Amino acid sequence: MKQRIHKNMFLMVCALVLPMLMFAQNQTPEKAISSDFSNTMYVVLVTSIFLLLLVIIMMGLALKNIIGSDFVTTKLKKNANTLKNNEGVKSNFMLLAAAATPAATDAGVVEVNDWLIGGLDMTTFFILITIIIFEVAIIAIFFRLIMHFTAKEKVAAPIVNKPKEKTIFDVLNASVDIEDEHDIMLDHEYDGIRELDNSLPPWWKYGFYLTIVVAVVYLANFHIFKTGDLQVAEYNKEVAQAKIDIAEYMKTAANNVDETNVKLLTGADLVTGKELFVANCAACHGAAGEGKVGPNLTDRYWLHGGGLADVFKSIKYGWVEKGMKPWQEDFSPNQIAQLTSFIYSLKGTNPPGAKEAQGDLYTEAGASASDSLAPKTDSLAPKIDSLKTKQDSVK
Amino acid sequence: MELQKFQYDNKIVKWFAYATMLWGIVGMVAGLLAAIQLFLPAANLDLPYTSFGRVRPVHTNAVIFAFVGNGIFMGVYYSLQRLLKARMFSDMLSKIHFWGWQLIIVLAAISLLLGKTTGKEYAELEWPIDILITLVWVVFGWNMFGTILKRRERHLYVAIWFYIGTFVTVAMLHIVNSIEIPVSFWKSYSWYAGVQDALVQWWYGHNAVAFFLTTPYLGLMYYFLPKAANRPVYSYRLSVIHFWSLIFIYIWAGPHHLLYTAVPDWAQSLGVVFSVMLIAPSWGGMINGLLTLRGAWDKVREDAVLKFLVVAVTAYGMATFEGPMLSLKSVSAISHYTDWIVAHVHVGALGWNGFMTFGILYWLIPKLFRTELYSKRMANWHFWIGTLGIVLYAIPMYWSGIMQSLMWKDFTPEGQLKWQFMDTVNVMIPFYITRAIGGALFLTGAIMMVYNLIKTIKIGNFLANEDAEAPALEKTFAKHGKEHWHRIIERKPVQMMIVSLVVVMIGGIIEFVPTFLVKSNIPTIAQVKPYTPLELQGRDIYIREGCYTCHSQMIRPFRSETSRYGEYSKAGEFVYDHPFQWGSKRTGPDLARIGGKYPDSWHYSHMLDPTSMSPGSIMPAYPWLFDDQVDVSSTVAKIKAMKRLGVPYPEGYEKIAASEMEKQAKGIAANLEKDGMKTKSDREIVALIAYLQRMGTDIKKTATDTTKK
Repeated sequence: MKQRIHKNMFLMVCALVLPMLMFAQNQTPEKAISSDFSNTMYVVLVTSIFLLLLVIIMMGLALKNIIGSDFVTTKLKKNANTLKNNEGVKSNFMLLAAAATPAATDAGVVEVNDWLIGGLDMTTFFILITIIIFEVAIIAIFFRLIMHFTAKEKVAAPIVNKPKEKTIFDVLNASVDIEDEHDIMLDHEYDGIRELDNSLPPWWKYGFYLTIVVAVVYLANFHIFKTGDLQVAEYNKEVAQAKIDIAEYMKTAANNVDETNVKLLTGADLVTGKELFVANCAACHGAAGEGKVGPNLTDRYWLHGGGLADVFKSIKYGWVEKGMKPWQEDFSPNQIAQLTSFIYSLKGTNPPGAKEAQGDLYTEAGASASDSLAPKTDSLAPKIDSLKTKQDSVK
Repeated sequence: MELQKFQYDNKIVKWFAYATMLWGIVGMVAGLLAAIQLFLPAANLDLPYTSFGRVRPVHTNAVIFAFVGNGIFMGVYYSLQRLLKARMFSDMLSKIHFWGWQLIIVLAAISLLLGKTTGKEYAELEWPIDILITLVWVVFGWNMFGTILKRRERHLYVAIWFYIGTFVTVAMLHIVNSIEIPVSFWKSYSWYAGVQDALVQWWYGHNAVAFFLTTPYLGLMYYFLPKAANRPVYSYRLSVIHFWSLIFIYIWAGPHHLLYTAVPDWAQSLGVVFSVMLIAPSWGGMINGLLTLRGAWDKVREDAVLKFLVVAVTAYGMATFEGPMLSLKSVSAISHYTDWIVAHVHVGALGWNGFMTFGILYWLIPKLFRTELYSKRMANWHFWIGTLGIVLYAIPMYWSGIMQSLMWKDFTPEGQLKWQFMDTVNVMIPFYITRAIGGALFLTGAIMMVYNLIKTIKIGNFLANEDAEAPALEKTFAKHGKEHWHRIIERKPVQMMIVSLVVVMIGGIIEFVPTFLVKSNIPTIAQVKPYTPLELQGRDIYIREGCYTCHSQMIRPFRSETSRYGEYSKAGEFVYDHPFQWGSKRTGPDLARIGGKYPDSWHYSHMLDPTSMSPGSIMPAYPWLFDDQVDVSSTVAKIKAMKRLGVPYPEGYEKIAASEMEKQAKGIAANLEKDGMKTKSDREIVALIAYLQRMGTDIKKTATDTTKK
């Protein structure tokens, strides 16, 4: 992310806001850097940089105001030893700003590095930390300057006017002192209400400008240069990434069960299976599997086959047209296997209030592996189709 | 210059103050009931009139239009006369305004409890009441402008700019959003459909917050805060800039209620950026209020009125900073549909509107009755109890909102959703309870205030007509020296009204016109067909029962939502939805693709007793749907109305509608009977099941159709 060296602070802010904005929408800019907003460390560091910058801007503006005010000019004349003139302060200020700028503009450049700190590679981490240290240093210096200018006059000689005390808020808001407010009192009055004519608080005014810049950059990013992903593109990326992550996980996971290799489980798995059944299936199939809205699961008659693989499949893909929803998004393959095994254990329990038999008599002998595999491809077919339409409708 | 003698009308102010107190308590009680129903479903009482879906609109309408509405009029009628040095234009208009508004409130409460609703949030009232609102609003404007025109003060004070902005904008919002086609005296369909209806509705909904809850109250702040603190307003320049930028920018931000929905991306982006730009104009009001107190902070320690006003202005500042943050798409992705939003609006409603109203009442009632407040101690207690109430309300809702959203989005490494929807409801209960306690505390404070004020009224001596005098306004105006450029428009009220109207029209026009005229904004889907007569009747039952207050019909394009609910919602799916029912809160799951997910018998049992099908459910039961018959006589009128709105039913369809309806209903009844549930086919439950089973299925038909080919 090469950028020209900016000469003033305002553009420096933009340089930092721009990447922030792009990240805010959860995507990587053109030259992707290894860290993004999913990394907590990165979020914390970049947010701190941004907040510190705001503080610097506010302090800078306040300083500008103080330096411009008569109060300080007279004080400066008296106190020539500390600082010779305004120019000194201003050049000091520019120097600091210039020093911070290259650091800020380097923030995006990252080399791939094996060393990780809190999930961030070393280069990014140290660049961000350097920026923060710089910013803190600038704030410290600004703070001293403000303190210096606003400090109470320590004059021994008696003075006629009360010494002017400015709070930090007065300085930030560039307010006219309460004692002097008659100077800016407007000449009208409504039912006893008078109005002052204080100037717009600088932080407010420049904050307003900043939001307008943000707005322009935002719209440009998404709708003029189209560098940002709109929601459908964002969604497609999310789903694709999830597929990769799951495949990666499944490679190492022990519970990679599906309808081709499901085995009858026993013991603790049956207990878990029962818990799942009571929580999720009992509403339709009855607490003992006797059948209610859904069919009886304890008899030997099955609508969609009674083999282990058949039951597994019925749970996983559902029979939507008959009111059985697919549960594959809700349960892990292992959980479906536990459920299947529990249902299998219900056979012949003959619970009270059992629903009448539905479907065909199922005998174990007829259930060879090949039989139960055959319909599998069928039930997958519409899935592929629906995926296709998904893509079509996206277009 | 001759001094003219005249009298301020305090009587109308007193009436509005009484109405504010009464409706405030009523609205808060309704809110508390709704809050209790969320953890104690039995509090729905199994009655149609007390079920959550009807109580919640009563609560929102009562606090917005009855409590805050009367509060606005109270403050405006008091301050306007004094700022213009003139009595209200016409006592008769004032009276018509007052009684007209109270009539609207009573009609609204009754009709909403009876289930007469348009199904559009904060605009639920049916068309006859909409017309009445328009008429009464015109009376208000007429009275206000009449007073302005006979004023004895050349220039308009900033408070009055806000009153004028409020008047024109609310008129525009109300009329545009309420365009609907009547079916019968208590039933109408929104003129707009789907995406367009959503855009218009949230342009309205967002700006009801802006121009009913914000701008008039900023006007009141500009009068009552400097009065109570006895300090000059901090910055005139700031008033000018923040007034115009606020009303211009606010209008654009509506689409931020619809981020990640089927609304076109460009409209969403406009909503985002204008919300961000709204921070400074909103904060301009807060700054001007708080800095007006410079030099008066010692009084804040003593005076309950100032305490209320300070917290109100601070709450305003917090809510208007949070608003733009919630409008960022990445934050909206988490916060939308959750209790976070409920917490956000209540910081505004309880803090800003509530406390501002309380502060004004504590200041105004002793003034009107020429006495001291009965108990300052009690007012201070009210302040602390109320503040504690807000904290106890907001914090649990922020917490639970974020927690629930993260649970919705949680996946196991195997790629399954980690939590069933019901799991995420179960964990909410303690938070709902704490929230209700916070609300109860706030209500307690309000009751203490009413008691305190009644006592004050008893010891006081009311002055109906307050004497005042001021020189008459000279015909011609001679400028003295240099003046601020804005002073010119401050002495031209009619021009000011026209300019404000133009300023607030721009955003709406730029967002609406392309959405209505450019076809690519709403790509049509051939498989999406109009509802059958039975489904249409079922949909009207869905609207009547306020299902949209807890269920959304908008699946956002996130993996966590498409996994849970199915394919994300497309703009073309809603083209026949008059009105749209996307909802704004998921107390229960999204229903956009509920069709076909469960058997008819599941819905039958679920509507009769939700916990039978989903143990732990907090949904109310709907037993009356099993007894009441569908109003068949309305079918023809409904189909005809839909045809006039452009829904492509075949020629002469209304003639066969009744028989079509009967056929479909018998099919469902037979289906239910198979599972042992006996019901007559003419019952409302059958129509509702027909609608639920249709929802979101049109797109799926594409899949099966293509496989058959």
